[in-house]
Amino acid sequence: MRPSLCLKIDSDLESVGLVAKAVRALCSNGLGPEALDEVELGVAEAINNVIKHGYAGRKGSSVEIRAVLSIDRVVIDILDQAPAMPQTALEARDPWSRIESGQTEDLPESGMGMALIQMTMDEVSYSSDAGINQLRLTKLLAH
Amino acid sequence: MLSTETIDEVLIIRVEERRLDASKAPAFKDDVGQIIDEKANRLVLDLTLVEFIDSSGLGVIVSVLKRLGPSGNLAIAGANSTVRRLFSLTRMDRIFKLYDSPQAAVEAMQT
Repeated sequence: MRPSLCLKIDSDLESVGLVAKAVRALCSNGLGPEALDEVELGVAEAINNVIKHGYAGRKGSSVEIRAVLSIDRVVIDILDQAPAMPQTALEARDPWSRIESGQTEDLPESGMGMALIQMTMDEVSYSSDAGINQLRLTKLLAH
Repeated sequence: MLSTETIDEVLIIRVEERRLDASKAPAFKDDVGQIIDEKANRLVLDLTLVEFIDSSGLGVIVSVLKRLGPSGNLAIAGANSTVRRLFSLTRMDRIFKLYDSPQAAVEAMQT
């Protein structure tokens, strides 16, 4: 059987670290240190997004995380019942596009979450059906 | 959450959290803002105890840089490999100077 985990947390930002670390631990047999950092970051950013934007920062709703590690990839599903986000939200603009200007004022302080999810994962997809949203993050194992 | 110390007129702010993430960012921003308003413009953020930072935590660090203004000097010290990875992914390693220890950062600021 493939190693997997399923966790359900309250929509509380305080709980996100626990899940991100659990998914990291699940992957520790297949991924190197840099890829583990990326998985932990991508998962944390994705759940933060659900809680901050989907549930408007309110506690009392649930977020479910299912992760499966197989021979060539880890697939992480994040499920919530918040209002769905538009598919265009997946297309992260580059928050650092003006970094070369050298102007400190141009540096972003927020809006980096989706860009980081895209940078840390190999595939990101989103679907919404019958009131349940599913964000699927896939990270390929290097061979 | 934070402790401070001054070495050679450089203020060291030590972050006493393992995770500087979205759940901690608002309080971190308030606390560090108060310290900056009261004190010097040469500052080292000591991340030795920090194991993980997300984009919210990074956003606060950027806001500190902005708040210091053009005359300010902000260095990052003690970032572990996970935190350094975030800085390189977001290209913030081009904006911030990263040092292995607060002492190394203070020494660099004297020259």
